[in-house]
Amino acid sequence: MKKFLSLILTLALILSVCSFAAADDLPTITIMFHGSNVSDDSAVLEKVNEYIADKVGAKLEVIWGTWGDFDEKAVNALTSGDKDVDIVFTCSWSSDEYNSYAKKGYFLKLDDLIEQYGADLKAAIPESLMQAATIEGAEGKGVYAVNGFKDTATQNTWDVNVTLLTELGYTVDDLMAKGFFGWDEIFAKAKEVKGDSFYPFLVEPMVAERMVTNSIIVAGDAGSTNLLSLYLNPEDVSADGIYGNKLVNKFGTPEYKAFAEQMHKYYEAGYIDPALSVGETSNDCRTNHQKDASYLIGTQSYAFGYEYSADVLARGAEIKFVPCTDPYVDTTASQGAMMAINSASEHPEEAFKFLALLNSDPTLMTLMNYGVEGIHYTLNDEGLVVFNDEARATYSPWTNGVGNVTILPDTAAEGKGFRKSFQEYYAGAKGIPSLGFVFDNSPVENEMAALGNVAAQYALALDCGAVDPETELPSFLAALDAAGMEAYLNEANAQLEAYLAK
Amino acid sequence: MTALQAKDRRRLGLRSFAATKKTFWLTTMMLPGAVWLLLIRYLPMFGIVIAFKNYRAFRPNTFWNNIVKSEWVGLKNFEFLKSPDTGIMIRNTLGYNLLWILLGLVISVAFAVMMSELTTRFLAKTYQTMMFFPYFLSWVVASYFVLAFLDPTSGMIPFMQKAAGQKVTNFYHDTTWWPLILTICNLWKNLGYSSVLYLAAITGIDTTQYEAAAVDGATKWQQIWHVTLPGIRPMIVILLIMNVGKIFNADFGLFYNVPQNSGSLYPVTQVVDTYVYRAYANTHNLGMSSAAGFLQSFIGLICIIGANSLVRKIDPESSLF
Amino acid sequence: MTAVSQSAKKKIKAGSFSLNRFGTGTQSVFHLVLAAFSLMCIIPFIFVIIIAFSSEESIRQIGYSFAPLSWSTQAFTYTFQLGNALWRSYFNSFLITAVGTLLSVSITVLYAYPLFRRDFRFRNFFNFLSFFTMIFGGGLVPTFVICKSVLGLSDNYAALIVPMLFSPFNVIIMRTFLQTTVPTELIEAATIDGSGEYSTLLRIVLPVVKPGIATIALLVSLAYWNEWFLSLLYLNKNMEIMPLQYLLMRMQRNADFLAKNSSMLGADAAKAAAQLPSQSLKMALVVFIVVPIACAYPFFQRYVVAGLTIGSVKG
Repeated sequence: MKKFLSLILTLALILSVCSFAAADDLPTITIMFHGSNVSDDSAVLEKVNEYIADKVGAKLEVIWGTWGDFDEKAVNALTSGDKDVDIVFTCSWSSDEYNSYAKKGYFLKLDDLIEQYGADLKAAIPESLMQAATIEGAEGKGVYAVNGFKDTATQNTWDVNVTLLTELGYTVDDLMAKGFFGWDEIFAKAKEVKGDSFYPFLVEPMVAERMVTNSIIVAGDAGSTNLLSLYLNPEDVSADGIYGNKLVNKFGTPEYKAFAEQMHKYYEAGYIDPALSVGETSNDCRTNHQKDASYLIGTQSYAFGYEYSADVLARGAEIKFVPCTDPYVDTTASQGAMMAINSASEHPEEAFKFLALLNSDPTLMTLMNYGVEGIHYTLNDEGLVVFNDEARATYSPWTNGVGNVTILPDTAAEGKGFRKSFQEYYAGAKGIPSLGFVFDNSPVENEMAALGNVAAQYALALDCGAVDPETELPSFLAALDAAGMEAYLNEANAQLEAYLAK
Repeated sequence: MTALQAKDRRRLGLRSFAATKKTFWLTTMMLPGAVWLLLIRYLPMFGIVIAFKNYRAFRPNTFWNNIVKSEWVGLKNFEFLKSPDTGIMIRNTLGYNLLWILLGLVISVAFAVMMSELTTRFLAKTYQTMMFFPYFLSWVVASYFVLAFLDPTSGMIPFMQKAAGQKVTNFYHDTTWWPLILTICNLWKNLGYSSVLYLAAITGIDTTQYEAAAVDGATKWQQIWHVTLPGIRPMIVILLIMNVGKIFNADFGLFYNVPQNSGSLYPVTQVVDTYVYRAYANTHNLGMSSAAGFLQSFIGLICIIGANSLVRKIDPESSLF
Repeated sequence: MTAVSQSAKKKIKAGSFSLNRFGTGTQSVFHLVLAAFSLMCIIPFIFVIIIAFSSEESIRQIGYSFAPLSWSTQAFTYTFQLGNALWRSYFNSFLITAVGTLLSVSITVLYAYPLFRRDFRFRNFFNFLSFFTMIFGGGLVPTFVICKSVLGLSDNYAALIVPMLFSPFNVIIMRTFLQTTVPTELIEAATIDGSGEYSTLLRIVLPVVKPGIATIALLVSLAYWNEWFLSLLYLNKNMEIMPLQYLLMRMQRNADFLAKNSSMLGADAAKAAAQLPSQSLKMALVVFIVVPIACAYPFFQRYVVAGLTIGSVKG
């Protein structure tokens, strides 16, 4: 017994000495990233901490959240008031709901900090992004996260396998002239030539629906399946759409009915892979077929320069992305990647200084995003970045999720002047009339949960054409009504009206 | 030395030294477990109040402070039950559980008895090992296996249907077969596990009882009925009671992953756990998921107490408490 | 407890007893049923192995199949390339499972034994203490907060072991094993002999209840071996101690997330999805995870099915 106690005592002493020895003058700030693929950050962090020691007055530690575990980690850290996480990624889609967490008080209001330390930051990112980040939070109206300057506009495109199209004897212009409702002939030809197990139409059903009917996602709507729709004007995205600035139940519109019926025709004729119609198998199916270009037409949410990226080039066929509309700036795009400061943080000033520096200083941004020169990449004669594949495999953050990508140097793959063209492309994008509107769903939370479930039950299958709209669409609409669609719509429209009136 | 008589000691309120010593030592055995329970289970129980509050962050942002300052909202978080899907999800949860508790009990006891009676011990052990395998695989992996059978393009059953010239069943959009499919999957995964428990209980039965019964003239089947089954009755009853306590809970992976999260199948695959998960993904309301958990616990408690009282009347030895 | 006559017991003592087994006909039926079900259980695992050795092209073209178009050891070579990370995570899994099982079984047995003793004064209290937590719990976030802030379980092995040390379910099972295999006369005999409580437990009770302990040990080690959620919650910066299962689940969840949010993430999702490990790799990891524990199973089994001769109270 005595021996045991003395062992414990010794251990305790050793532990306490260790912690004393490790104590530093500088406070530590911890940042949690999303979508990372990083197994070794020691070299990078060493350089980073060297660089920021004076400028920020803190030491940086990183939690490299991946696609699969970031959500749980972030929610836990924020909900439990974990002071060990200072900065956390957030956005207005998925479960990182910027708006709802700011309302719940998890994020710090940054306006004062921006006034004090954010001069460089304000110079580095456009005013519109600051505007987009200004919302109603727990401490009043203000900015609750630093907005990341990346592709700020949404654009949906048809992903066309031009090689195959030419083989069948058509051009892209033919395709677009016929339009979605007239592709029977082309699909039939494709099946004839490629065989019965070939599925020419490789859609993400929900995206296809939005592309054909020109409806867009409303921020704050149910995340799993969209219930509300704002209809876009495809000719001029900044003008009102066919339903004006009113939110409608898109499943009840004649546009949707026409779309669903057409999809059903395509599905029954064997142009669409059944695996696309089921939640879990949908994405795997699409990714697999994209990888070896075994499709004719697909859908793709587009970002400038995507056709030059490695995975598109690796598909082994010529791919063209044909847009449906001009790029448009909506709330989802303009709140796509942000960094918020946890209100439980004990070093908010240092945390903010770091964010300001990260988003305005090319050296720091390049370090964090690309790594250390000489280890993770080298600069070629033109000054373009060439990655060392082996080292890069151990350090691959999600570029768009780190912050201001416009201050990054061009890579050899993207080509010289890429960043400039990128900025120009999106600078020209127009905003939709209701830009900045976020639906606060807390008054109708229960309805949303119920409606979300109903939508999840019917929408994907209908969008993909896997079930007959004649019978299923009416049942769907009836179920939506029973779950409180009217109340939900009324609340949303009331809020939208109030927003536009200001 | 005149020792006091036992009854005199009791009259004087004296406990024998031996009894106190026994109690003391037995209590020390409970300490590690009890400490663990207090720290990791009882301490966090204050979190149950979240089900009745609108949880948000206040300044200073610490968990304790947030809970204390969040306002009470009574039963508002339970209103997710007002959804029209509630009836279906409750029916599915209870229905499947009741069916599977009974089916699982009968079949796993039967298997355990069968295995204990085989003369080829080597084969018995092999069966036992193989039957346990499904328990090692997660539902995600198991769902791929089901997919290999049911996938409309490359699955085995549609393939055979096409070969026979029949119309291909679109399994992931057709609810007809799923109660059967889910039942088979559940049995497949859990039978091995339960059988092992029963089998271990069977091996603990005093073998002289079998011999005695045989000598008394009992046939093998009579021996099973009069020796084996009563011998494992405590185990059967206990497991039954505990399963009844979970009657409002469902195995998430089975109902979410195996149907590949297909919306069309919700009418037969939506259970409380999946509904709350999907709803939480949309609303991020900690109070609601907390309320759902509380509800499941509450109903489970009532069921267990009910089942236990019933058992206590019939066979006090086998009751849970 | 059973309908066995005194005369029968006397006859056994006298040594008269004949081979007491089912006939071969019945035995064959048993074999058939059990074999069929056992095959049904093992086939999915064989399927997993087949997928692990299928080539990516085959999976892309015809999906998962028992007869892939072409074979390949790509998945396994890739896994071995992960090199240190793989062996380290394997080691972590073993360490956590071994230590966890040892501690957990000890705590469980220690807790269950007094519960089984009807002469224990505080029996009902402790029974309820344990059982109540099976029904009610504080929830994920409160437990997380207590474990992390109060108990310091964060980024260390303790965080992956302690939260699973005690299971009321296992306690009840253990108690039931004790009830059905240990006759009270045994305890009384030991007490009269002057044995202390711990002594009785260790010397006399444990050897008798070995099948029970082996069963609990099996269940506990399985639970530890398959656990990944604790890693997700408690491992933020110390990725060295990550177990293998977490690696697999992370890949799985990465794929799921990208699937759900591809329209929002747009090109980013497509790029990230292209970087994900292949389907065959996922299955290869499953093989890595299942094989060791499957090999450990026969070890436990030796004790669980201890044979036909247990009875320790003669006469």
